[in-house]
Amino acid sequence: MAILETRNLGITFDGLVALEGVNFAAEEGKITAVIGPNGAGKTTFFNLIAGFYQPTDGTVVFDGKDVTALKAYQRAEAGIARTFQNINLFKDMSVMDNALVGMHCKGKSGVLRCMFRTPLERREDREFRKQVMEYLDLMGLADYAEEKAGSLSYGMQKNLEIARALALKPRVLLLDEPASGLNTQDLETLSSRIGKIRDLGITVVLIEHKMDVVMSISDHIAVLNFGKKIADGTPEEISSNPEVIEAYLGKEDD
Amino acid sequence: MSIGKIYEKTRLWIILVITFCLPLVVSNNYWLHILNLGGIFAVCTLSLNLLTGCTGLFSVGHIAYYGIGAYTAAILSTRFGVPFLIALPCSGLVAMFFGILLGMPALRLKGLYLAISTLAFGEIAYKVFLNWNEVTNGTKGIRGIKAPVLFGINFSTYRAYYYIVMIVLVITIVLMRNLIHSRVGRALLSIRESEIAAAAMGVNTVLYKILAFAASSFFAGIAGCLYAYEVHFISPESFVSQESTTVLAMMVVGGIGSIAGSIVGAFALTIIPEVLRFVGDIRLVLYGAAIVAIIIFVPKGLGGFLEWLDQILMGKVKKQIPEEGE
Repeated sequence: MAILETRNLGITFDGLVALEGVNFAAEEGKITAVIGPNGAGKTTFFNLIAGFYQPTDGTVVFDGKDVTALKAYQRAEAGIARTFQNINLFKDMSVMDNALVGMHCKGKSGVLRCMFRTPLERREDREFRKQVMEYLDLMGLADYAEEKAGSLSYGMQKNLEIARALALKPRVLLLDEPASGLNTQDLETLSSRIGKIRDLGITVVLIEHKMDVVMSISDHIAVLNFGKKIADGTPEEISSNPEVIEAYLGKEDD
Repeated sequence: MSIGKIYEKTRLWIILVITFCLPLVVSNNYWLHILNLGGIFAVCTLSLNLLTGCTGLFSVGHIAYYGIGAYTAAILSTRFGVPFLIALPCSGLVAMFFGILLGMPALRLKGLYLAISTLAFGEIAYKVFLNWNEVTNGTKGIRGIKAPVLFGINFSTYRAYYYIVMIVLVITIVLMRNLIHSRVGRALLSIRESEIAAAAMGVNTVLYKILAFAASSFFAGIAGCLYAYEVHFISPESFVSQESTTVLAMMVVGGIGSIAGSIVGAFALTIIPEVLRFVGDIRLVLYGAAIVAIIIFVPKGLGGFLEWLDQILMGKVKKQIPEEGE
């Protein structure tokens, strides 16, 4: 069953069509990749799903409900988490605090409860710290919980982005180029971690340029080019699809 | 037990004992008044720090809330005979009302535009204090604010009132500290760090910005009330926009986003101009030079410097982070 669907999704910026008529579905519990050349509209597509842009056409359906009218924070609340292509961490906050912001929606403590540190607030805080540690551990950051996020290495910052998104306990996790800038060894760790995330029951949708990663971990692949979906299928189908090869390598005659 | 450990365990008590004993050593009324003003400004700076330092929303007209709190207290006390303990929260609530009122439209603005709108609000508040004769008594101000009487004790001397100021300051510090290190505080900090990422984590940024305005103006109003009872007479001249700049400077000199910094900054910038009085007319130049020097040489502010000293005294060495790998 598809947990996340877009129907005829499109957006226009000042007359420029960035995305048009995209029908997309991510099966629950699977890893779906969105690939395409630079400027194909992949990140725009993510921004539409996560609610950072309002589409000019079409709808976003999450868990059978139309969420197109929901704001970004409401979609996060509903269970759509994301990471950013250009790392977007809370740099001056600790690794732990970054991940704790991810748990924001699960918390119930309001201003007064927080100001007076009521027993309820303390219990919630303790519980959250314990849970967040699991995600930090999964992403190899448990030893750096008290460090400032901005002081981490590039690779660790990318991992923290994922850990923070996991702390939302999302049903769908959108990963925007998680492998970019990583070396071969880190790539393997990343692939196995993404597998573990799927095993937690989280549906993963990822944008990625590194084809070996995409082909090895994806259950399903959608291809965007010039704002349109040009292909859709299993990794095998995609790698032999002439239109996809053309989009990536250019026409043979040219 | 090492010296570092002893220090770590006792440092809070040492500060509290010094705070408690200070008026017993300082006998001069003038200096007690300066200390009280320092404490009052510390509450005000802490409130600004929550809004600007923690949430990243620039307020250049913060003295308006302080003024609204002061006028609320003055009016309640002189016209309606409301006792201090009721006037205090009322001042905060009235200031908070205006904080929310300004906060809502201001949320559409970012950065400098927000700063300008808060500056305008400060000016408007000043003009209202100045011209709404029926309520604020205009340029003549409101006089005859009687000293608070609590549990049969009259807090009419500067020395007695000092304890009220310090108790309110300590409560403010504790509440602010709790708030910043909680779910709500983290949401506020995340807005300062990256509004987009905050929204992606499910933080309702609009709601939390209004909340920051509300909490901040509440404490500024409380500080204003303390001020009214300290000086017994308030007039619009105490709430000119220059005062907003002073509070902003206190926060910056102390270290943006730091609680210890806000307190130290407030006391430092209240005391320095007084200490410099002996040099005569040139003192304000030296005062300005001192601010610039602090900002250049102690980039994290006086608070950052103290926190560093604190770490050293506790004997805590910062852990090194490896460059790459897991």
